[in-house]
Amino acid sequence: MDFDLGDGAADLRLRLRGLIQENFGPNFLGAFTTNPSDLEDTNNFCRLLASEGLLTLAWPKEFGGGGGSLWDQTVVREEMWAHHEPRGAQYMGLNWVGPALMAYGSDAQKAFHLPLIAAGDVIWCQGFSEPEAGSDLASLRTRAEPVGGAHGDEGWIINGQKIWTSYAGMAQWCIIAARVGGGERHEGITMFLVPMDSPGIEVRPIRSMLGPHHLNEVFFNDVFATPDSVLGEIGGGWSVIKTALAHERVGIARYARCERLLSLIGAELAPHWQDLPANLHTAWVRALVQVRVARLLAYRTVHAQERGEVPDVAASAARIAVTQCDQSVAEVLFSALDHRSLEAGSNAPLRGAVEDHWRYAQAATVASGTIEVQRMIVAKALLRGESV
Amino acid sequence: MNPVLPEEAVQVAEAARRAFADLGGVELARHSETDPKQREKIVVVLSQLGLDALDPRTDPISLAAAAASCAEAGRVALPYPLAASLVRDSDGRPTVAVPNSQVRVDHADLFTQWRVGTLDGGSSFVASGAGQALGTRLGPFVGPLNDLRPTEVNFGDILCQQLLVSWTLLGALENAVSLATFHVNSRIQFGKPIATFQAVQFQLADAAVIVAGLRELAGFTLWRFSSVGEAARADVLALRLHALESARAVFRTCQQLHGAAGVCDEYDISILTRMMQPALRLPAGIEQTAELLTDAVTMDGFVGLFPLGGRA
Repeated sequence: MDFDLGDGAADLRLRLRGLIQENFGPNFLGAFTTNPSDLEDTNNFCRLLASEGLLTLAWPKEFGGGGGSLWDQTVVREEMWAHHEPRGAQYMGLNWVGPALMAYGSDAQKAFHLPLIAAGDVIWCQGFSEPEAGSDLASLRTRAEPVGGAHGDEGWIINGQKIWTSYAGMAQWCIIAARVGGGERHEGITMFLVPMDSPGIEVRPIRSMLGPHHLNEVFFNDVFATPDSVLGEIGGGWSVIKTALAHERVGIARYARCERLLSLIGAELAPHWQDLPANLHTAWVRALVQVRVARLLAYRTVHAQERGEVPDVAASAARIAVTQCDQSVAEVLFSALDHRSLEAGSNAPLRGAVEDHWRYAQAATVASGTIEVQRMIVAKALLRGESV
Repeated sequence: MNPVLPEEAVQVAEAARRAFADLGGVELARHSETDPKQREKIVVVLSQLGLDALDPRTDPISLAAAAASCAEAGRVALPYPLAASLVRDSDGRPTVAVPNSQVRVDHADLFTQWRVGTLDGGSSFVASGAGQALGTRLGPFVGPLNDLRPTEVNFGDILCQQLLVSWTLLGALENAVSLATFHVNSRIQFGKPIATFQAVQFQLADAAVIVAGLRELAGFTLWRFSSVGEAARADVLALRLHALESARAVFRTCQQLHGAAGVCDEYDISILTRMMQPALRLPAGIEQTAELLTDAVTMDGFVGLFPLGGRA
């Protein structure tokens, strides 16, 4: 047994922390702010990471990546999320749109899209959820009608509505799931790669407790997609979605930000930290333990992936633990800050990072597949006699 | 990075599992309450397994084998202080952590002498002779130790015993989830197995995730203790705290999923829940363990991605 990620991981961690410190001010809390320079800073940072060979460190070398290990990828995920995701909206393209293109894309699609993602020059959004298709994604209604024959020889016309689409207002490209033909449920679902400046696409921001511009509705009104915009097989979109969601479920290292904030709170509140009620101190150590457990469950999943397994159930178990940890830690930190937890901005405790964390944590058990869906996956495995 | 138990340890544990099953599994614990001499059978089996010669302090594989064997003991609520007996001194005296206020241990009557120490490292003794066991439903074999003589007991040994107790609890909780899974699959209500109800599935899933997390933490703590010994105090206490909190949630859920059967001794879940109470309450329960951990983390830190006490 060995839980040390090795000297290479430690060096990579330090290198990433150094780059973040050099390129972001102490007030940076992510790209979803009213300050446009935050988005610009994240885009510049992606280009810097690309030039340093770090943006696609974990991609295979044949696709222009660094050929790094899954553990390198894990370190990158941890450091990025811990520091409020300085890659901004681009992490989605890096973490799973790129890998989905590698797995299902045509040579032309790979040649066009992968270099753009690898250079840090493009933001992607995903059009999966719909008003009537949330956890039950297979009930989606957005349709793509072929032009010039059943196989869309002359293109496709897409009509429908997507919702909860992160980064839609910033993205240049969208990977969208639409139904082709008369199939039900998983049948007929097809993935399309569509430029967001296509005529007929309308983005409407949704006001929420998250950052501005984060959640959006996206309307597709007679949007034309070219014949070569289909990713994978016509009707084979469900496989692409499963690949994407598998990446997404282990993609966000929420525990890392939890751990960073817990490590900072004592010094932030000094010298009053010691005067806090004893049960707050024990709540703090309980949170540290919970974070460690969440991290270890995530590592278990990565280890299984490293061995070539497809650890769906382990990934769901990790996601349950990680998202619950996110919310528990938010409450512990708020309890420690007491009434000052309501403050936001650069004058707030930890420059607003705790307030920001609490707001985002409220969506943790919903984003990328609700915790209820994860519980169903885990329970069904147990009832089949599998271990969790 | 490799979170998997070494193969040698897995083999030792598999042998222990078979041997404990041959003894009757949970049935042995059930019978021991009315006939405490049943416990003597265990000594013979431990010797046959070579566990009486295994020293978890010698190397990481021995520690892992001891831990995995304790998990098997927990799985059947083995009525024997295996964790304490594995951490014995050259005179064969078992080592056990005890409460600060009163020196009482589970199965006190099984050894003539014990090495005992408090979890804060403040005091340690050699104790001779056991008093009358409580004989209660939750602590049938818990008894006081007498004739305490202050003696230096390596604090690392106390921590090692506590690490192994947490592994024992892990095994018990894994079995609790298995028992609950079997029960909800076979119990028919409203014309179908109760496992088909989502409310049941969700409770089962939550319990299983808690236990999966405890197993990973137990493995991590094993590695930490192997690597740094006594300096892993906070890690061992963190594991104990998490084991206790996991037990509270998982036993409760698994009993609930058994319905009224969950409190009936005819069902293994009731025996498991009862027989693990001494390990959950001695030497310190949840809140006292949390306070001990807070002190340890404040003094020693807590290994992770970020050093504690840093500034933004």
